Amino acid sequence: MPNKVQRRGGLFGRLIALFLATLTISATANSGYAIIAVMRDDFVNKRKWFTEDEMSDYIAIAQSCPGPMAVTSSMVVGFQSAGILGSLAAVWGVITPPFAIMVLVSIFYQTIVSNPYVTIFMRGMQMGVVAMLLDVCIGLFLNVTKKPGIYPLVVMAIAFLYVRLTNCSIMWLAIGCGVAGAIRALLVKREVEAA
Amino acid sequence: MTDSMILLRVFIAFLRIGAIAFGGAYAAIPLVEQEVVTNEGFMTYAEFADLLALDEITPGPILINSATFVGMKVAGMPGAIAATLGCILIPCIVSVSLLFLFRKYKNTVLVQSIVLTLKCMALALIVSTMIKLGMNAVMPSEAQADILHGTYAVAVMAFAFYLIHGKKLSPLPVMLGCGALNVIVSMLGM
Repeated sequence: MPNKVQRRGGLFGRLIALFLATLTISATANSGYAIIAVMRDDFVNKRKWFTEDEMSDYIAIAQSCPGPMAVTSSMVVGFQSAGILGSLAAVWGVITPPFAIMVLVSIFYQTIVSNPYVTIFMRGMQMGVVAMLLDVCIGLFLNVTKKPGIYPLVVMAIAFLYVRLTNCSIMWLAIGCGVAGAIRALLVKREVEAA
Repeated sequence: MTDSMILLRVFIAFLRIGAIAFGGAYAAIPLVEQEVVTNEGFMTYAEFADLLALDEITPGPILINSATFVGMKVAGMPGAIAATLGCILIPCIVSVSLLFLFRKYKNTVLVQSIVLTLKCMALALIVSTMIKLGMNAVMPSEAQADILHGTYAVAVMAFAFYLIHGKKLSPLPVMLGCGALNVIVSMLGM
């Protein structure tokens, strides 16, 4: 079970905290990456449930799964905080706001899209999202380049070109990265044995 | 067609989308289009375009929004529930399975190396999305290139970054502040 979690309050307290955290995050943030940025701020900086390092592992795991990243990262963070019940609480929190909002929106569709200020507000929020993503990128970059070597830079460059220049599924990229990581592990092992 | 049949079809359509939707929100849109418009005919293309506009202005993951909206349209509340559960089921199972593998083998060279590679991939994907969003904020697609607006957008982004990274403010209020600022600026007619 999670060992570094600060067990403040009982299981129930943690479930409520998880539910409320993902509920708030999902009610305000629009894209999966924005949700991850807010989650990192909440769980690493404020609650101190995870270290920066653990959180970046979880982001990598959530990224390698199919489906909405808000859901997969909630599953992972929830599980690490309070087991399978934690996962369920976090995912319940993350899907409730969009579900409720879209049910209402599909009923009042015309009134909403004809109000220009709604769009303008959302467009402004997008600028904040860009700033937030830059902050996440810097944190992740420092994390993956802790050990010297050009391997991380090469992977980043290839992955970046892959998403920008091709229309192929990210699934193949994730599989490719898994294979590349495995090959690198074998090479590292051989080097260690040879030395 | 009976009600339970249509619920099952909505559920399975979104189950398929959830299983192959790698790479974030923008990658999921063409999958939803293919299943919902082309394969199942739950919606016309015009309705699907409406859905995209709604996704832009509502909070929450785009895939969940789409599932709820399509489900509501096809079969009301039960449809919305079936579609939403369908699209999260496989991602939930896959993420917990990967987490288990990670926890069990995280101290081996093999898993550390794979996770490092995946982290680099994650970073590249986020940078790519950030560039897309940033370009969109500086030059909204429907407006003509406008130096004043572009400068304003860059300034807002830079200031927001300063608040989050330099001042360590929590991102959420900064983001809402950016939205509010944009409304004020447009009311002043700038």
